[in-house]
Amino acid sequence: MATSTAGSSDPSTTRRQSKKPKYSKFTQQELPACKPILTPRAVISAFLIVTIVFVPIGVASLIASHDVVEIIDRYDAECIPSNVTDKVAYIQTPGEKPCKRELHVEKRMKSPIYVYYQLDNFYQNHRRYVKSRNDDQLRDSGKANSVSGCEPEDDANGMPIVPCGLIAWSLFNDTYSFSRNSNNLTVNKKGISWKSDREHKFGSDVFPKNFQNGSIIGGGHLDVNIPLSEQEDLIVWMRTAALPTFRKLYGKIEVDLEKGDVIQVNLGNNYNTYSFSGKKKLVLSTTSWLGGKNDFLGIAYLTVGGLSFFLVLAFTIIYLIKPRQLGDPSYLSWNRNPGGH
Amino acid sequence: MVKKGARKITLSIGDGANDVSMIQAAHVGIGISGMEGMQAVMASDFAIAQFRYLADLLLVHGRWSYLRICKVVIYFFYKNLTFTLTQFWFTFQTGFSGQRFYDDWFQSLYNVIFTALPVIIVGLFDKDVSSSLSKKYPELYMEGIKNVFFKWKVVAIWAFFSVYQSLIFFYFVSTTNLRKIFGLWDVSTMAFTCVVITVNLRLLMICNSITRWHYISVGGSILAWFIFIFIYSGISTPYDRQENIYFVIYVLMSTFYFYIMLLLVPAAALFCDFVYQGVQRWFFPYDYQIIQEMHRDEVDNTGRAQLLEVGNQLTPAEARSYAISQLPRELSKHTGFAFDSPGYESFFAAQLGVYAPPKAWDVARRASMRSKPKIGHKK
Repeated sequence: MATSTAGSSDPSTTRRQSKKPKYSKFTQQELPACKPILTPRAVISAFLIVTIVFVPIGVASLIASHDVVEIIDRYDAECIPSNVTDKVAYIQTPGEKPCKRELHVEKRMKSPIYVYYQLDNFYQNHRRYVKSRNDDQLRDSGKANSVSGCEPEDDANGMPIVPCGLIAWSLFNDTYSFSRNSNNLTVNKKGISWKSDREHKFGSDVFPKNFQNGSIIGGGHLDVNIPLSEQEDLIVWMRTAALPTFRKLYGKIEVDLEKGDVIQVNLGNNYNTYSFSGKKKLVLSTTSWLGGKNDFLGIAYLTVGGLSFFLVLAFTIIYLIKPRQLGDPSYLSWNRNPGGH
Repeated sequence: MVKKGARKITLSIGDGANDVSMIQAAHVGIGISGMEGMQAVMASDFAIAQFRYLADLLLVHGRWSYLRICKVVIYFFYKNLTFTLTQFWFTFQTGFSGQRFYDDWFQSLYNVIFTALPVIIVGLFDKDVSSSLSKKYPELYMEGIKNVFFKWKVVAIWAFFSVYQSLIFFYFVSTTNLRKIFGLWDVSTMAFTCVVITVNLRLLMICNSITRWHYISVGGSILAWFIFIFIYSGISTPYDRQENIYFVIYVLMSTFYFYIMLLLVPAAALFCDFVYQGVQRWFFPYDYQIIQEMHRDEVDNTGRAQLLEVGNQLTPAEARSYAISQLPRELSKHTGFAFDSPGYESFFAAQLGVYAPPKAWDVARRASMRSKPKIGHKK
């Protein structure tokens, strides 16, 4: 009896007559599958796991963040002499504008202590600003003339600027020097930028040329004898920040600071943030395994962990009070309201 | 009349040339390929081989198809909305200058490589209940009729969670405060990593049945992202533009911050979705979910064997007539008989000189028709 089963005794006739496609689990949609059902027990266990994992991490993060000691000092308003009315004109006058500040150490700070400058209301993430650079020029001394994209800071007096662009032009140039009890604290300014930047993005044979020669000075000057790969302030500055309030690394202090120390800061107030109401702050901070002072991570973890714990309790209570039997046919919509469709 | 007057979706089924106009007029036309010829099949939207397959077409495949299309479409909107809104929150921080948050390559490849394959797999394989259960509970078909899975309410809830997730992505990732200074592209790479991982995990959450292809595609997409970013961060070409992704991922992965964020952000983003799904399933379950639970311990035996094995269901007499019909013949197949009518076998059998006994029900039918006026039946 000829049938159309595969592998019958008469293969030639069955193949001619049977148009059945070759069986495969993929095409017949019979792949073995796991069918997860979100039972109340699964929900409660999932939240319990989240609680167990997140709360300790949150606590650890918060402890790490509290161990970080941070001193923040806003100085842009205080460093203008009191008899000056036009701040912008003052900051634009050439010459040194020294300012003395005092920092009080509230808690023992272990080295290395990182010195940052923080700028507020400075939009390094503005579109025209971010694209205003030329990476070819920074990397390769032979490409000194490629300045495309750097307008308006591409050339001055007919000669191309190295490094060109608004980012380099607006280089931050306040300086800080620290002393404690009349002893100078050295600030290590080596190694503050990314190693990959120093080695690959900024050439070791590229020297600044024609820099800040234009009519408007936007920021600091560069030593023409130092190649770009060693101009770490520039490298740090050129890693454009994501938000309008940002910190950049200035250097490291490699001694401990004790509680009660008074640090004298001699800063050179050169950078003009006054024309756009920006703020300048000096930050001294220790670090932990997590980085700087960042309560947010710890709080976020604790919030998620706490919410899951609360949900574990809530679901357990509801489960005990008002359980729904798994697979109870009375919940089917045609059983609940039979005439209701 | 039903189509225009009652404004329902209509389905018509037919197998002969006279059914072609009916098939074309209905919203869904189904043709049966067989002894009546292929005209109905050529005019139809779907073709099946036997009339009894209609139950499967509607209750099993039609229903699954509706479910899958809803999931695919809504997921597609969700993943793009999440991805785009994360950028949108960034515009508030750039002085509205229009600076892109993500690198160009990230944006272009997001829909092509990093999130494409899993949703295709869901569209192909997702099953809420097995085929035998679909036929056992035909009331499940009402879900499609009432458009339960793609109402505005459903879309609005997905959109709401999309907004919530994008806020988490942007604001959690941008509160960094680290030893190593992070710039724009570092933050955006971190955010993008979180987005890719979260939307892929979200897909697993909406699956009713997870095959190994789901795991492969989800894991593969996330792996593809890491492979891509490792390569992209490792090369510096002369064509680098403003986006400076050089070495970003290696520096990121050398910080504890990266791993802490990678654990926190997807969990926080999917938290609300998970709560919503748990609450919905517990207190406001859909019918298919109840049926899933009722039959959760049963092995999924497939109905395929019953469908394709014609020999399973035939009595010996029917098997014989089927065998007769399989006899090789060089004569025309277009006889105008519906298959399985008595004239069918006796016609072919007579052509080949074989005697095919009349079927009992046919004899009875003709006997009962003697008293009725002839309405033009074939014999």
